[in-house]
Amino acid sequence: MTRLNELASTIRSKNAGVNQVTFDIIFPDRESYDRVIRGGSITRNSMARLFNIPEERISDFVNFDVGNAIKFTIYRSRPNGSPGDWDVLGCQQYGPLTHFDVP
Amino acid sequence: MAGIETMPDYLVADGGSSDPGPVFLGENIMLGHFVRDELELFLTETRKRGIPMIIGSAGDTGSNFGVDHFVDTLKELALEHRIPKFKIGYFYSEVKPEFLKARLVAGKSLQGLGGFPDLVAEEIDSAARIVAVAGIHPFLKLLEMGADVIVGGRCGDINFTAAPCIAAGFPEALSYHMGKMIECASLVAEPFMGKETIIGTITQEDIRLTPYHPDQRCTIASAAGHSMYERETPYYEHTLGGLLDMRHCTYEQHDERTCRITGAAWEPASELRVKIEGARKVGERYMGFVGIRDPHVVNRVDDAIDWCRAAVAKRFSNETYELYFHVFGRDGVLKELEPVKQTLAHELGIVVEGLAPTDALAAKITDFAVRMFFLARIPGVKGTAGTAATTKQTMKSSPGYIWNINHTVPIDDPMELFPVHITEAGV
Repeated sequence: MTRLNELASTIRSKNAGVNQVTFDIIFPDRESYDRVIRGGSITRNSMARLFNIPEERISDFVNFDVGNAIKFTIYRSRPNGSPGDWDVLGCQQYGPLTHFDVP
Repeated sequence: MAGIETMPDYLVADGGSSDPGPVFLGENIMLGHFVRDELELFLTETRKRGIPMIIGSAGDTGSNFGVDHFVDTLKELALEHRIPKFKIGYFYSEVKPEFLKARLVAGKSLQGLGGFPDLVAEEIDSAARIVAVAGIHPFLKLLEMGADVIVGGRCGDINFTAAPCIAAGFPEALSYHMGKMIECASLVAEPFMGKETIIGTITQEDIRLTPYHPDQRCTIASAAGHSMYERETPYYEHTLGGLLDMRHCTYEQHDERTCRITGAAWEPASELRVKIEGARKVGERYMGFVGIRDPHVVNRVDDAIDWCRAAVAKRFSNETYELYFHVFGRDGVLKELEPVKQTLAHELGIVVEGLAPTDALAAKITDFAVRMFFLARIPGVKGTAGTAATTKQTMKSSPGYIWNINHTVPIDDPMELFPVHITEAGV
């Protein structure tokens, strides 16, 4: 198994509107992208399990071939900047993805 | 700065976002401390060369205050630098609650975005301030009226760039796509360098992106990567008046540092719906910071939090308040999304965030909650002089707000909510 941060060139998260956070996993080339897609370890289901959320909280999940990227978007538990939210830009939510194991 | 020496036809810049949260719109304040410095550079350098300048979502939120502040600052700078007379065009984006309530009465649905339920009159009334998100239309109007500088209220990130491209006769699809690709300037290029200039070139057939900074390149990967940045999907961009469809875009390396993109499509909307944003005040807010080093308390931090909550609930049983505990070192950033359940940290930092209807009560409750950490009774603790390290003072924060409006409303005319004005500046 390989950790995702050894394969991906960019792993990031960011607000997509005030009530969603979107995650981008971008690979440096088609080879590493294909390897991860073929491995089938990054899916709507596995990402829901990683973040302890029901699949319905993932609003979009896309394998974006043109960008050699996997992208998914989740609903926040509260809109950005609400009391109780400590990531107003959603830009640190990707943390757990970096150590996600892929075949 | 040196990017302007390539003599672009326009200088465009985004002045705002909903990313900083609802406090700025609610309180009608600006987040940036360098607005004057940046406007000074933009204005003096563009006027010197006769290059028109367009700014969208002025003042971080695009509120009327933000627009007025930008226009006033530009006028002051023009006098200070003795810039020859020029025209500033500006438009407002604030929406009166009566307008929205009249739509509800007329039976129109104000649809929620991003999982929000449809809007009800009560939320409209409780919003401190509401702005609508403009399309290209007020920008086009102001260009037509001869503005040399445009200060926009709240608008879609892609529109202050799309407008001058469309005004110059380029296809809508490519114009909007240009807006999408250069909205965050140098973020479309690699390696990552924030706040550098990007040069966008449009023709009848394609758009081309070239970073100004000599150490950056715009590649197929960086451009395709940016096309999905901060949006739910990489394929579509909704804006007032239509939908930008990027499903069939092709990216090519035009030269070493330039990416060429073709293939975007534009689908005009059958119904005009404008996005609206509003912020509702929740209360006054204080924060305190607590440190924990005793490994026994680190392991049982939830017991300490429960103890604090219970103590506050007992002491302030007749009051309305909100209390949040941000446990840094465990799940302060991700909260319930955090997969790491058992922290390996030897110490924890906890921010106690407290809100209440009045300043005095918010201060009292937050401070009390912080002190209760110090007094938390956890069986088995060896220390008997205090279970938490604290700073001297609980700190006043901004009032708390939430986004309570994140909706679309049908309108008849895309200019309806965006009155335009022209004023003269300079000497």
